[in-house]
Amino acid sequence: MEHTVSYLGFIPLLPLIGAVVIGLLHMFTCRKTPLPEIFYGVLACVGPVLSFLLALVVFFQLKGLPAEERFLTHNVFTWFAVGDLHVDMGFLADPLSSLMLLFVTFIGSLIHIYSVGYMAGDENFGKFFSYLNLFLGSMLILVLGSGPVVMFVGWEGVGLCSYLLISFYSKETDNVIAGNKAFIVNRIGDLGFVLGMAFLFWAIGDLGFDYLSLKANVASIPPGVGLAVCLLLFIGACGKSAQIPLYVWLPDAMAGPTPVSALIHAATMVTAGVYMVARFSFLYAHYPVAGSVVAWVGILTALLAAIFGMFQKDIKKILAYSTVSQLGYMFAGVGVAAYSAGIFHVFTHAFFKALLFLGAGSVIYALHHEQDIWKMGGLKDKLPKTYWTMIIGAFALSGCPPFSGFFSKDEILFSALASGHTGIWLIGVLVAGMTAYYTFRMIFLVFHGKPRVQESFDHAHEPPAVMTVPLIILAVGALFAGFLNLPGIFGGNLNVSHWLAPSLSELHPHVSFWVELLAITTSVVAFAIGITIAFKKFGQGATEPEFTGFAKFGYHKFYVDEIYNAVFVQPYKAFGSVISRFLEPNVTDSHVKLSVWLYQKAGAAFKVFQIGYVRVYAIYMVIGLSLMSLFLSQTIN
Amino acid sequence: MNDFLSLLPLLIISSGAIILMLLAAFEKSRLETASYLSMGFFAVAFFVQLLVGCGPTIVIFNNVFNGMLAASNFTQAASLIILACGFFTAMTTHSYFKVNHFSSLEFYAIMMFGACGMLLLTLSQELITSFIALEIMSLAIYVLVGYNRSNVKAAEAVLKYLMLGAFAGAFFTMGTALIYGGVKSTKFVEIGAFCAANSATAPLILGGTFFIFVALLFKAAAFPFHAWVVDVYDGASTPVTGFMATALKTAIFTVFANFLAQNSGLHGSWVTFLFYISVLTMFGGNLIAIGQSNLKRMLAASGIVHSGYLLIALVAISTEHFTGSVIAYYLAAYAAGTLGMFAALAYLGGEGEKRCTFDDFKGLAKVRPYSAAAITVFLLSMAGIPPTAGFMGKFYVITSAIAADHMALAILGIVSSILSMWYYLRLIINMYFHKTEDTFETKESVFATACTFILVFCVFAIGIYPIVI
Repeated sequence: MEHTVSYLGFIPLLPLIGAVVIGLLHMFTCRKTPLPEIFYGVLACVGPVLSFLLALVVFFQLKGLPAEERFLTHNVFTWFAVGDLHVDMGFLADPLSSLMLLFVTFIGSLIHIYSVGYMAGDENFGKFFSYLNLFLGSMLILVLGSGPVVMFVGWEGVGLCSYLLISFYSKETDNVIAGNKAFIVNRIGDLGFVLGMAFLFWAIGDLGFDYLSLKANVASIPPGVGLAVCLLLFIGACGKSAQIPLYVWLPDAMAGPTPVSALIHAATMVTAGVYMVARFSFLYAHYPVAGSVVAWVGILTALLAAIFGMFQKDIKKILAYSTVSQLGYMFAGVGVAAYSAGIFHVFTHAFFKALLFLGAGSVIYALHHEQDIWKMGGLKDKLPKTYWTMIIGAFALSGCPPFSGFFSKDEILFSALASGHTGIWLIGVLVAGMTAYYTFRMIFLVFHGKPRVQESFDHAHEPPAVMTVPLIILAVGALFAGFLNLPGIFGGNLNVSHWLAPSLSELHPHVSFWVELLAITTSVVAFAIGITIAFKKFGQGATEPEFTGFAKFGYHKFYVDEIYNAVFVQPYKAFGSVISRFLEPNVTDSHVKLSVWLYQKAGAAFKVFQIGYVRVYAIYMVIGLSLMSLFLSQTIN
Repeated sequence: MNDFLSLLPLLIISSGAIILMLLAAFEKSRLETASYLSMGFFAVAFFVQLLVGCGPTIVIFNNVFNGMLAASNFTQAASLIILACGFFTAMTTHSYFKVNHFSSLEFYAIMMFGACGMLLLTLSQELITSFIALEIMSLAIYVLVGYNRSNVKAAEAVLKYLMLGAFAGAFFTMGTALIYGGVKSTKFVEIGAFCAANSATAPLILGGTFFIFVALLFKAAAFPFHAWVVDVYDGASTPVTGFMATALKTAIFTVFANFLAQNSGLHGSWVTFLFYISVLTMFGGNLIAIGQSNLKRMLAASGIVHSGYLLIALVAISTEHFTGSVIAYYLAAYAAGTLGMFAALAYLGGEGEKRCTFDDFKGLAKVRPYSAAAITVFLLSMAGIPPTAGFMGKFYVITSAIAADHMALAILGIVSSILSMWYYLRLIINMYFHKTEDTFETKESVFATACTFILVFCVFAIGIYPIVI
């Protein structure tokens, strides 16, 4: 049973309208007197906030329906229909997308509000908010789309916006390079997505190409094709959600303004891959092999990123690697078919990661764009609000009970253990300890000890309320969001998992109390060990070490960028130059130029007939007529 | 009542034309007022047409016109396109006549008479009515083409058009006479019934339809009856060219499709013929277009190519599979791009249309970035690049050809589309990759500029939100 609601389309439309309006206003005024910032700020926040309110309406409307009827659809128009392919520009709200909607719009709105403060004084204020609105609108299309094709529109939209925003400070070449990198790496993933979509259409697309029809016909996919579709779609997810081997763009994406990083890492973009796998859970559930690949890639990414995170000195890079690492957890979750656990981690992660990024943003703001943690220290008293909120974020990220990250991460690790993936569980526990270590390394170095650079410390001051209030709201979320999905062992009944159940094809293995307890205990122990080491090393102030051996290797991120450059980029360039220097001039050019020459000559010849005398034109008509008569008499006899 | 409602847009436009004519006769109003009035009439007629929308049923005017006229979804779409073309042309001329002072009030009246003829032509279901409508339209267009009497080029253009047009008109009447001789009726339906009952290759029918096709192909500028187009488009003033290129073509193809759709037997024997004509039209048009250095001439030649595409859709037409929606969609997409292009040329051209060649537009993007961007959008739409309307139009035309088992035609259509890039991209290259030589100063031209940007929006809107009737 489906229910049609016509307001669904407005959720993505409102930010998109905002983007167009702000963009046009900026375009037409930036050369003359720019409009006041507050004007743009209000305009930019209206769309996301209204979308959030609509998302609430959707949520409560869904809640009012019986569990198996929780589908709200709206087909706005038939986008194109060719042969068997019939694609509607349609939207689908079910428990999964409504949960995504809620936190994407909520956190997106908060980031918009925060940005009003953070971006103050920037000459391209209007442009920034236009992009930001477009980003959110694209993400909402991605989430709400009723089929893979509509999702792909949003998918490409977020890719474009990430490029625009990462290279927002386009005066510096490095930022532009980072934007290019994000875009190109994402293209590789997109190719996987497109191929996966094409295979899926080839297999069962003629029976309808939206999620509901696909889900209904999933059984008739040939097994090999189904597996290929799963793996190809996962390549797409790897690109968007920064997994091995395509994770390299995300740390560089720090080149953009900090609120953008928060938006990319928390509410939009990187969560798209996880969402997509969960969206296609009806497919992945059929192919445990594909699931295992997803889970192993995820957990290895988590490990690798955690190693890198331990040695970084740029506050945003640490957070970036922590995101890559947490995304690895999410994929491990959806890979072991614990889709709701993965999505729940997306949900809690959105809160604490947005909080940490915005907190880092206010540190950077206070220190006038200083990002090196070895040049900070002792900021605890100068920035109390930032400090306390970031502490909450750090506890949540490290998975300390009862903060939100604990419950969601624990759910994933427990599912891995319960489904028999012991290896994944062990690595997961190890990464949990490392997470606690690098998170608190950052906290201690930034806020505790003595100031390392006195001058910038003296000038530091708490940012305005427009920036701190979102921090506090997010801190509340990071603290309590975990309780929404309290597992049975703590007396809860997994509300979020039950809410998501109708959208996902997951099994809930029944496991003993002791296994659950084991999982929880090890996580807590790992956290405790991690934070203790961090405190021992950095709690009382420390000086920047000279990295040697493995640490140096880790600091340089295992030289992965350099290896990629040597293995892929340079040979590719060399190949290109071979083609352009030898193949093109010697082999292909002659043919191409010949056809161009022929075309030009034929055009010139035709020009002669365009003589300009009306009598000649009449003669053409007569000649044409005669030839046609001849043709007719030939065909008829 | 339904009869009356379906006819209402035509009535509005014709009464508007008469009112404007009277105003001009008594010299009671200014040129600007006349342009506002005609914009108003077109807009009102457009919305009336939109509201009337007779749904899936076909209104045949049996009581009033003895079945000589009929309205369907297809004719309504066509009349919407024609009315929109009229509206945008009126907007463009408003600005154009601020710079080029040769107009008088009658201009708008005559334009509206032309539109009357076109609307009537879309509705007509009978050969004599078609002929009358065709001539109402043509007479008005002749006058518009030669409106600038002091311009030799315009005088030359109107003379050529008039002479060749008369030639074509003679074919039409001759064809009608032959068909009447064979069928004893001039109604499309009865011709179709006759062909179904007897052979469609009876000499009188064959000869008659042949002559009628010649006349229609002439008006649609299909090869080898295309030669007049380039000179006439060049000689006429820019907004008039835009009007001719879009509204007139819409009317002709509508009546062409109506005629073929009613006569499936007739159509069957003509498929091969139309197949070759459409291929020749596409490729001939391309070859003419690449040799041009004047933009209006290039656009005229590209109009020939677009006629070729529309002929593909006509080839693919059949009773089970009426490609009217494809034709209407293509016409709408083409109209949006072409009208926008001519609107931009009208205000950028300046006094006496001094900027009209590829070279004159070098470096436009540096001085007038928005105008250059708009022109780029129109050119890309005409070339068929997504997500513009032109892409979807070509897409539908080609899929309709594939659906009708004309694979060769589909492939040739795509090849022709690639060839057409040459002259579209050439202008884009000139605008963006060359040094600015001109200052591109233009006088105040609010309406033409507004028209250009509204049409940019339309090009995207039609492309992203394809309305399939």
